[in-house]
Amino acid sequence: MARRPSPSDYRSDVWNDWCPGCGNFGIVAAMYQALAELNADPKATVVVSGIGCSGKIPHFLSVSGVHTLHGRAIPFATGIKLANPGLNVIVNGGDGDLLGIGAGHFVALGRRNIDITVIMHDNQVYGLTKGQASPTLPRGIRTKALPMPNLQDPVNPVALAIASGYTFVARGYSSRVKHLKDLIKAAVEHRGAAFIDVLQPCVTYNDVFTYDYYDKRVYALEESGWDPDVRDESDAARKAAEAYAKAFEWGDRIPIGVFYRNAHVPSFEDRIAGRLPGYLKVPPAAEPVDSGGAPLMDADAFRKAFSKYIVEIGEG
Amino acid sequence: MTLRALDFILGGPQGGGLETSSQILTWAFARAGYGVISDREYFSNIRGRHSYVHAEVSATGLPRALRYPIHLLGAMDAETVFTHFGDLAPGSYLVYDTGEEGKVYESIPSIEPELKARLRAAFREAGLDGTLGSLVKYLSASRRVVPVGLHYASVLSEAQKEVGIAASQASRYVSAILVGAVAGLTGLGDGPVSYGLSRRFPKKELYEPNRYVAGAVASYVKSKFGAPLALEASSIGQRELLVASGNDVSAMAKIVGGLRFQSYYPITPAADESFTLEEYESLHLDGFDSEVVVLQTEDELAAINAAVGAALAGARSATATSGPGFDLMVEGLGWAGMNEVPVVVTYYQRGGPSTGQPTRGAQSDLLSSVFASHGEYPRIVIASGDHEEVFRDAIEALNYAERYQMPVIHLVDKFLANTIASIPMPDLSSIRIDRGKLVGEAAGAGGYKRFDFSSPISPRAFLGQAVMWYTGDEHDEWGHITEDPESRVKIMEKRMRKLEIADSEIPEEARASYYGPERADFLLVGWGFVKGAALAALEDLSAEGLRGAYLHVRMFSPYPSRLVSRILAGFEPDRVIDVEHNYTAQAASLLAMNTGFRIRRSVLKFTGRPMYADELARAVKSVLSGSEREVLSYGA
Repeated sequence: MARRPSPSDYRSDVWNDWCPGCGNFGIVAAMYQALAELNADPKATVVVSGIGCSGKIPHFLSVSGVHTLHGRAIPFATGIKLANPGLNVIVNGGDGDLLGIGAGHFVALGRRNIDITVIMHDNQVYGLTKGQASPTLPRGIRTKALPMPNLQDPVNPVALAIASGYTFVARGYSSRVKHLKDLIKAAVEHRGAAFIDVLQPCVTYNDVFTYDYYDKRVYALEESGWDPDVRDESDAARKAAEAYAKAFEWGDRIPIGVFYRNAHVPSFEDRIAGRLPGYLKVPPAAEPVDSGGAPLMDADAFRKAFSKYIVEIGEG
Repeated sequence: MTLRALDFILGGPQGGGLETSSQILTWAFARAGYGVISDREYFSNIRGRHSYVHAEVSATGLPRALRYPIHLLGAMDAETVFTHFGDLAPGSYLVYDTGEEGKVYESIPSIEPELKARLRAAFREAGLDGTLGSLVKYLSASRRVVPVGLHYASVLSEAQKEVGIAASQASRYVSAILVGAVAGLTGLGDGPVSYGLSRRFPKKELYEPNRYVAGAVASYVKSKFGAPLALEASSIGQRELLVASGNDVSAMAKIVGGLRFQSYYPITPAADESFTLEEYESLHLDGFDSEVVVLQTEDELAAINAAVGAALAGARSATATSGPGFDLMVEGLGWAGMNEVPVVVTYYQRGGPSTGQPTRGAQSDLLSSVFASHGEYPRIVIASGDHEEVFRDAIEALNYAERYQMPVIHLVDKFLANTIASIPMPDLSSIRIDRGKLVGEAAGAGGYKRFDFSSPISPRAFLGQAVMWYTGDEHDEWGHITEDPESRVKIMEKRMRKLEIADSEIPEEARASYYGPERADFLLVGWGFVKGAALAALEDLSAEGLRGAYLHVRMFSPYPSRLVSRILAGFEPDRVIDVEHNYTAQAASLLAMNTGFRIRRSVLKFTGRPMYADELARAVKSVLSGSEREVLSYGA
């Protein structure tokens, strides 16, 4: 692109059918802006989503989109990224998707530190199935569709991400679009597994955690002097512990911003490159598999490679 | 008199060196020019439970099946003799540890209560006192079994003196005792035995003491018994053999086939394939480069979906699993079907349902492979019958997946996975790699419709080459969600028609094979590992004047209906016998569904142990004389 792209360049023609006022609009707006400011190549950008309202987001973007299964956005993204590490892979998933049915994958991505950004649409309810409690809804809360108050305790997404090994952990608020845009840019530019928990009111089913609720409470960590960065590798555990504690600040004041960032952990792609010397130069997606329809491996190469399995018949 | 083929069993506690003995002997027999097949049977256990290897060595061909009774039993411990003495043929040889003669089966905790109950009955009938010693005497006196008693501890203490192995390490050389005993009884030369040992123990400090123990035992046995189980000279006529398990053959084939990504979650009996792939993940030889990302995932849900993701990005991609893992993969497989993704699932069947028999074989996941899913989507299901088929099919699976843009399930089973066989070196010059319709970067111009309706198989671009969308929802040509009824009909037809194209393009001869005379009196119909037993049983039956043929089905979707119908038309309906490793005759159901022909007679086995040529031949005779259903159960 000769000119700088504008946010609207990243908008697809598909009509957005989220409820009017849905918190997701702030997220997709921040995505348009972040992609524009990152000058993202639409072909090389892949947005991977799960199921539910958040799952539809790829269709509203004019970059490549993979709308997958409930809970499985991270495994799809993992395969895409590892097969072609040159792609910029961004996962969008709901709280039920990433921390309920897909929680195992959420943890695994942290362990691997693959260079993928995960944006979680956190509205504490399952919207598309009419408002059941999600894994982030606190115990005892009864949002409007619930027949009875919630019996289960919530999982703390920021704390779980830190414990799982994500090397960039942040929280955003969908109504603070510019702030969220900056978080998305920073997450994408971070080399490693990045997680953003986005507080995102469900205007239809969540009458407790509303815009009004958050507007009164959220404050930006960076404005309070919080330093998320691990500056020295030996400091990682202490910084993680501090960020973990900070993650539990909730109530009258709710922090948003970057909680924790550690650039010292090797990405999974670098770990693979340590074993596969050609990996980053010619990734699996681009590595030839044939020569004019014939296999690349000939009888000689086969013999050399698999000599362990070959027995030459003979005397000695 | 020399033998044309030899069947033997080596048994011992899991983790006690049994695999070492078996590996060395397999290499040694192959080195001497013989064909070998060896099945490993074991419990779901790391150390201590009884495991055994049943091998057949042939001077006249590359064997594909095993037979009972056996010529030789090599026992590491008393439990092996208690478990397998009934397998011994009259005139056969029993190698055992005289130091264990006082052992009583009742006091061996690893023997399962059911076997103990059977032993109690057998021992009572024979008037035995429950010791190994009494059993050996009985076998010698009443069954003409020749005991080859060795005092293992003395052999090892002798070796400690001679070659200085540490007393604490002595038990590691029991495997060499068995190697020596088998070599002595079969007259296997020093050369091949040393070859087998040196491959297993490349380091001199391990090779030398093993060589000493094996050599000492072999010459003692030879001097005392004079190689009574010698094989005739080999007439196989190969210069070299590939000796590998089905897991390893599949891994090698995937590398030849250009696999670039494999994800897996550990499960028996599939995981060894991924281990082997990882061992060969980076190959850089003169003029040949291959790198494969092998990813161990957090579960099978991740394994299938990561493999699908890698395929979307353009990598030749697969996963390998077994029943419980496949069950978890079904939703992901449906997404791949919906989105026309070339992905291969190598499916190693084991006994089910549920955890079932994790280390035992079965063919009970056929219907699940063909039908598993909600909704309808096209898939290709291939089943391999022996190691050579595994090699070819593993590559074809990758080709079909890309050519027809759909998931391919490659059915293997535990029998094939863990059986080590000697096969001819694969002919790589006959192998083709087919990536199907690829458009690459050209797709970008003017917008790329991933599911372009202009033909059932739309030109494929990879993520990164164009902007495109995928969704598990029903979608339009662009990959965007649509619930429009007319569009639904169009895209359903587009997807499903690909299977018709595959059906018209893939020769039926590649999907089903007929073995036997042009005019046979009866027909066995089978698939997978049944092939070896069926062909061997037919050989045995033809020696008795019964002329049978075997129809081997290799692809279940799309089903080779025309060829199968044509072959069936040549037989009286009650001369057609279905042979499978399951309870419900699943392949016969699929055959009926696809051809309208209902097979009324069957020979089935679902104990988790392979079918043996001899029991199958007997069962076929029962069926030919009127029985409708024979259920086989031989094997410990």
